[in-house]
Amino acid sequence: MWKNIIAIAIGSAMGTSLRYYLNLVTLTTGYPIGTIVENLGGSMVLGFLTGWFIIKISREWLKVGLGVGLCGGFTTMSTLASDSVFLFLEHTWWLSVVYILVSVGGGIMCALVGYILGQKVGKRQGFKGVQQE
Amino acid sequence: MNLLLVSVGGMLGAICRYVLGIAIMSKFPTPPFPIAMLIVNVLGSLGLGVFYGSYYGGIPLGAYEESVFLLVAIGFFGAFTTFSTFSMETVQLYQKSAWKPLLAYISLSIVGSITMFVFGFSITK
Repeated sequence: MWKNIIAIAIGSAMGTSLRYYLNLVTLTTGYPIGTIVENLGGSMVLGFLTGWFIIKISREWLKVGLGVGLCGGFTTMSTLASDSVFLFLEHTWWLSVVYILVSVGGGIMCALVGYILGQKVGKRQGFKGVQQE
Repeated sequence: MNLLLVSVGGMLGAICRYVLGIAIMSKFPTPPFPIAMLIVNVLGSLGLGVFYGSYYGGIPLGAYEESVFLLVAIGFFGAFTTFSTFSMETVQLYQKSAWKPLLAYISLSIVGSITMFVFGFSITK
């Protein structure tokens, strides 16, 4: 349990810092482009890891550190909620709708693509990976 | 210093998400759809709304030099809620062809998060 918590702490510190950095870089655009990149990218990485881990057996602390910590800290739902309200109030309603559709549709697609890729890579590595554990 | 603030907030948020997730799953072991992250995301959005409403009275844009904003909004609530798990759980429902739970999960997560954000924001503003 403590091993998992420590792994999540390290992973989420990295994920959150990366998200902060991307938000800063895209701040001048005035649009929540950073959050879109984070949510889509993080979904793809988590998809990949999930597909990969199913075949390549791994340690629980590594799983939660990367999944719950890194990907979970990198992506966010609360900022998505505030961004869509912000776009609705400060810009137009359709921009808010586009933002939500791109985030949700794109995020799910990215997770699916990542998952399929991860499974392929995991299968190619085959039992070699299991032996290394 | 800013990185330290978002990191500390993020760590606390992610650990709270993990612990709460385990607690919800042990109470409801076989939900029709992933109820744990739904609750976490809706709660976290409510929390961010309450924070914005009470602290700023509006939605701040570019408060990236304020310690409280970095710690609470970007760090804690940002990492407490998650989008990647939402996407991945949707993919898993898709693979099971569980269409009704899939639609319920997506709409409750998105509409629920936005609605609770607005609710938290407007009652504290």
